[in-house]
Parts: sequence; C-alpha cells; structure tokens
Amino acid sequence: MPLARARRALALLIAALLVLAACQQGQPPTTGPVTQTGGGEPDPDGELVTNLGSEPDTIDPHKASFVHEIAVIMSVFEGLMSLDPQTLKPVPAVAAKDPEISADQKTWKFTLRDGVKFSDGTPVTARDYQRGFLRTCDPRTAGDYAFVLYVVVGCEAWNNMDLRTATTAQIEAGRDAVGIRVLDDKTIEFQLAEPAAYFGSIAYMWVGMPVKQESLDKGGERWTEPETYIGNGPFKLVEWKHNERMVFERNDSYWRGAPKVKRWTRVMIQEGATAFAAYRNNEIDVLGAAAEDLRTIEADPELKSQLSDVEGSCTFYIGFNAKRAPFDDPNVRLAFARSFDRDGYISDIQKMGTSANGGFIPPGLPGYDKDDAVQRYDPAAAKDLLAKSKYAGAPELQNVKFTYASNARTKTRVEWLQQQWKNNLGVTVVADPVDATAYTQLVKRQETTPLMFILGWCADFPDQQNWLTTVFHSSGISKTGWKNEKYDALVKQADQEPAKDRRDAMYLEASRMLSAEAPAAWLYYVSGKLLIKPWVKGVTTTALDSVLGQFRMWEIYVTKKG
Amino acid sequence: MLTYVVRRLLLLIPTLFFVAVVTFALAHAAPGSPFDKNPDRPLPAATIERLERLYGVDRPLHEQFLLYLGNLARFDLGSSLVRDRSVAEIIGSQLPVSAQLGIQALLLALAVALPLGVISALRQNTAVDHASMVLATVGTTIPSFVIAILAIYVFAVHLRLIPIVGWGTPKHMILPTVVLSLGAMAFLTRMTRASMLEAIRQDYVRTARAKGLPEQVVIVGHVLKNALIPVATVVGPATAGLITGSFIVESIFNVPGIGREFVLSITRRDYPLIMGVYLLYAFLIALANLAVDIVYAALDPRIKAA
Repeated sequence: MPLARARRALALLIAALLVLAACQQGQPPTTGPVTQTGGGEPDPDGELVTNLGSEPDTIDPHKASFVHEIAVIMSVFEGLMSLDPQTLKPVPAVAAKDPEISADQKTWKFTLRDGVKFSDGTPVTARDYQRGFLRTCDPRTAGDYAFVLYVVVGCEAWNNMDLRTATTAQIEAGRDAVGIRVLDDKTIEFQLAEPAAYFGSIAYMWVGMPVKQESLDKGGERWTEPETYIGNGPFKLVEWKHNERMVFERNDSYWRGAPKVKRWTRVMIQEGATAFAAYRNNEIDVLGAAAEDLRTIEADPELKSQLSDVEGSCTFYIGFNAKRAPFDDPNVRLAFARSFDRDGYISDIQKMGTSANGGFIPPGLPGYDKDDAVQRYDPAAAKDLLAKSKYAGAPELQNVKFTYASNARTKTRVEWLQQQWKNNLGVTVVADPVDATAYTQLVKRQETTPLMFILGWCADFPDQQNWLTTVFHSSGISKTGWKNEKYDALVKQADQEPAKDRRDAMYLEASRMLSAEAPAAWLYYVSGKLLIKPWVKGVTTTALDSVLGQFRMWEIYVTKKG
Repeated sequence: MLTYVVRRLLLLIPTLFFVAVVTFALAHAAPGSPFDKNPDRPLPAATIERLERLYGVDRPLHEQFLLYLGNLARFDLGSSLVRDRSVAEIIGSQLPVSAQLGIQALLLALAVALPLGVISALRQNTAVDHASMVLATVGTTIPSFVIAILAIYVFAVHLRLIPIVGWGTPKHMILPTVVLSLGAMAFLTRMTRASMLEAIRQDYVRTARAKGLPEQVVIVGHVLKNALIPVATVVGPATAGLITGSFIVESIFNVPGIGREFVLSITRRDYPLIMGVYLLYAFLIALANLAVDIVYAALDPRIKAA
C-alpha cells in the first residue's frame, strides 16, 4: 500500500510547504552502493554528528511513517530480516536463516538466532516480535503503516474495527484472529491471506520491530522516551532533547558486536542553509546536499571532494485522470508523456535527480527497466499520437487544467512543462495551484482527482509489488481511474508467483504495459548527493536508506578529526 | 485600579471564547485532514477514515467544539493529532525558549531604540539623525531571513565565533536575539524620534523652558515622558509577538521554540495544536494590552484607569 507514504514525505512536505530543505538523509542511492572505505584508524571513542532534519512526530515503530522517524527506529531496533546492501534482497538478521515457506506459500516460519538481546541485556524472544507485529495491526495503536501487514490473515479486519462500537471481547477476538503465532521462544509463524513472495522484504520493516512488554507497561503512552525505548539494534537512544537533538550510543549487547562509532548525535536543523553552514563549520559530519548549494560546492575543491552521488527510491510522475476527456484516450496520454524533454528537465529545473528514461520503477530497485523506451521524448511521435487520437483538433485539448500543490518549486516545474507541451504539442495547459493539504485531499479519491497532477512514489520495501500493484492496480493508491483488466490480472498473478524469474518477467511485461497505457508520465527519478567529511569511513549507502548506511550501520567509523 | 484589572481580566473570557470560535471555524474550514501528511504520498482513503474516526475528527463540528470547550474549561488542551505529545507539553517545553529569546530581543531593542530615537530627535537633521534613520530603514526593509543567513555565514562559517548546532548557551543566543530585535528596534527608533519631535513642539514644553527649567529636566521630565505614550502603545503587542517567537528566526537559527508551531500546526491541520497556540497568542496579546493600559496611567495623569 501506500507508501512509504509518509516516509520521504517529510522532506517533500516541508520543502513543499515552507521551502525549508528538510532531512535529505533519506535519499539513498542505488546502483552500486557508495562506500567510503579504507584509511585511518577507527577512533574507539568516535562520535558522529548528523542532521535528522526535524523533530520526529513519533518514534514508535508501530506508528511511524516519516523517513526521519524510521531513521531512529532502524538505529535502535532490528527486524527478523534485513536487506543486502548490494542486491536489496532480504537476508536473515535476527532470524537465524531464511524463512521456511509452506508449499502453498501462505505459511512463513522464522526461527530466531541464539543469544540476541535487548540493549538492557534481556533476551529477545519470538513473543517480542509477535507483540510488535500485533501492535501494528492493533486498531488502538492507530499507526499509519498497518496496511503493509494486511496480507497477514486477520490483520486488516482487526485494524479496521470501529473502536466506538467494538466491545473489549470483540477487540480481543480480533487480535486472536490475526495469523501470527509463537511456536516457542525462538519460532514465530505467519499465516498469509494469499501467497506473497514479497513477505520476506516486509519482515525487515519497522512495522515488525520487537518490543518489550515491560517498556510498554512502564512507559505507557510515553514509552518512546529514552528510559523505556529499549531495542535490539546497533544503537540505543540515551538522550532526546525535544526539537533539538537525539543522542545515540552504541549497544554493547548488539548481536553482531558493538558498532564502531561510540556516540551518534542527530541534531534537528530544518533550514537547509543553516545545515549547510553547520557542515562547513564542521559541526555536522554528513549532509544531504541541496540543489541550491551545488554551485557553491562545485566551486570549492575541498567540498567537491567530499561529495558523492546517492540514488533514491522515489519516482515523480504526472498523473492523468483517465476517466475524463481528453485523457480517456490513451493516445492523448502517451502524447503528453512523450512531449517533454526529460534530460532538459533535470538540467534546467530539477538540478538534482535522474531523467526518467525508463519505466515507473527507479534505477537500483528490483524491476527497474532501463530499456523501457515507450515514453521517451519524441515530439514527432507525440504529434502523430495526438493526431491519431479522437480529440485531434478538439477543444478539449485547449486549456487543460494541471493541478498542483502550491509552492515555488512546483510552480517552476509546472511552468516549464506548460511550455514544453505548448511548443512540442501545441496544446495549452493551465496551471491550477491549490493549498498542499487540500491537494492531498483531492488526489486521494477518484471522484475528485484533477485532470492532471504531480505525485511521487517511494519504495516501502524493495519489490515490484510495492510499485506496480500498490500504485497502479485498479484498486491501488493512484487515483487516475485507469483500469486495465489484463494489467490487474498480471500483477496479481506475479505477486503470488514463487519462482523469481517468472515473477520478474511478469512484472516486466506489466511495467511496459503501464508505460504504454500511460495513466501517468514518468517525470524523474529522485537521486541526491551526500557530503561526507573525510574522517567518516565505512559508510555503505543504499537506495532504501532512511539513515546513513542503514544496512551496515555498525561498520561506520570515524578517524580522529585531523 | 484593582477592580479595573479584575474587570479587564474577566473580559478576557469572552474575548478568548470569540477567538476560539473563529480559530476553530477557520481551522476546520480549510480543506484536508491532519492525516493528509504528505501531498505526494497520500494515505489510502480507508486509513484516513479509520484515523479520523479514532480521533473523533469525523464528528459534527459543533460537537467537536463543545467537547473542546469542555476540556479547555478543565485546562486540558488535548493532544496533538500528529505527534505523540500533548499540546500542553509542546507549549510548556517550547514557549519558555521563545519567551526568553523574545524578552532579550525586546530589551535589546528598547535599549538601543530609545536613546537613538531621543538623540535623533534632539539633533534633528544632523549626521547622527541621518545615520540612525538609515539604520532604522535598513532594519525594517531587509528581511530577517537575509540578515539571519548573512549573520550565520559571517560569524559562524567565516569567523568561527559562534556555534550553529545546539541551544542553551549565551553564544547560541547572540545572533538570534540580535536578528529578532532588529525589526522592533528599527520601528521603535522611528517611533521614538517622531513622537519626541511632536512633543518637543508642544506648548507645555515652551512653558517649561520659559519658566527657566534646565534643559535636561525639560527633555526627560516633559518631552520624553509624553513622547513615550505612543511608544508604550506599540511595545505591548510587540512584546506578545516577540515572546511567541518568529517562524523565520527560529527556523534559521534552529531554535527549539514555539514560533514554528504557528505555521506548522496550520499546514498540518493539527487542530488541537492550532487552538492551543492561537489561544495562547490571544491571551498574551490581551495581557500585553492590559499592561500597556496600566503603564499609560503611570505616564499620563490625564488617563485614569478607572
């Protein structure tokens, strides 16, 4: 489902609304991880300072949805599975080995490795994981991300229970119906409602983090304060000065061994210019570079040498309302998609990012299709498509309304696109800015979906299902109104297909079909640049990082600051 | 005097009620929901409905409002809809930061503006006067975000005198205090100058001089005292504005204050937080105005606090 919805969102939201550059750490790389290796002795008392961007609304793993919230959770907790930073495939973490999957693909059994402990020294059991997963499904938790577990039997029904009318007995019965069973201290079993080959990837997510009953009992609503926020991950939270900073220290009982960094402070600087100044002042060690600072960075040899590329896990697209004229004609949609210069867009407007010369799924994630040329920029072909459409020369092609969340950045994007369509296609598009929250309201229901709109999508977990099914299946997140029964059937079939090759092939076919039918035009893939001080080493980044080096956090070290 | 103050304080209740009605109506009139967190990544409609049901945001507005008032009467400001914290806790931890910064800025502004305004008026059309008016104009016209970012680059990045990260030490407070005070400082300087010039031409000043009073006594006792009345009028609301923080200054200097909440609570449709911060603001403005009225009486015997 929806996304990492809120995940990268904070950055987008704040930037959009307030033109504050928010936390860029959540912009991860993909093709081949960036690694700062070698050189220098690790400082055993090394301290790392990074920017969290802003105060997290919550750091409860079963409620969180924003990237800076997940960054905290992923530092303090560890799931049954993790991801391999090279391939982004799920690999066992606290689970001792790959899950045992039943023949019908609906029962998944995970066995915990021995000796895994919480940072207070108590052992982690299958019951702690069950408690965590159940909390996510629990309607009383009111988490945003419960939907990713709806594939587990009973989770959706329980989560949607109306608490105003439900009795305590009904709520308990709802919980007991959820297909998550503890077989013994070391074994946990999930019953899925349908085969879901991607469930191993879900098992790495924050929604399944273990939690101690004692933390919940002692801390109550406030269990996320440092005293009771006890996890089993590489770091522990030792201080949280609200709106100012969070301080983490290495967890000496971490099962892989204590991380090499002793202390990791995350400050909360929202304003991009301030964060950049703090980086230059050596007050923070790592910073996601903002597009507006690139010229300064390029002009300074020292800063330039500290810059590395990171690819992201998000795609921005222009959606078309396929139920309304003129976009009910696929030729018109494809004509619009093929008539703007994506490379020019990146160099003129976006400055940072990668041209969407491929399909919906961005580079670095499974399912990226670099050979998908269906929507490539080709004004001549676009004109032909338009001429072929039933709206050729019709008044519907004039004054096409393009609705967007009003802010300076998006305004520039929309104006540039208007010009492209005018020049290359001869159609006039009218900009229709609306308040950001109102915009969100509009795009979430089919009845109110604008004729044209801009949206982004970011990976929740690395699997095609999270893109092709979650977004563009006719019951998915995207409210373009586009429905193609062949596409729907194909992605559903792929979701359940256990054989990887066959599954990938089906998704590839669906992805091409999607580009050709063009309910949306791929605008650009998000990617970013990280500034890393030379004394920070051992960083392996991936496209899915919420926090620096998320999948190899314990390997990061700092040398003595020369 | 005491009855006057008590009466004014009682008048606060209907005022705040009115503010609550208007704020509540406007906040809810804006489209969207507190759970529409991200324009680019909407939650599924079913999830939003579930959350709205859970938090009671789907109930009829008058019902929600009555519920809110009931809680307010028990001094319960409710919990933020988007954060894991209560409104009282957010205000309680962030207001003192802004208040301290605001009071410092106000004192600085007054300490500079009053003497500067007085001197400019007394030396009207001299170099001193022109210089202070240029400063005052610059202070009003250059936006604080420009000055703030410039200040960071000069004092933190180039001179390395001031740390950027962190909060709480005097070093951290210098720049935001100065930048925050500039606007008020410039405005108050002009105000003091104009009002001094006005007072200096009054008949009672001529009378004072004619009866042979020393010039200092004339200036301090007659001109300045009367000139301060209009200044006091604007200092009241300015105080309320300063202690509730500035979105821009707090964002750029990374101050953990309440100023940012004024904007963020609205854009996020966090209804309880919107109500909390705006009622607080209204309350502070009302208090400031009351304080101004009391000061009037002290400055001008013709004005009776009756």
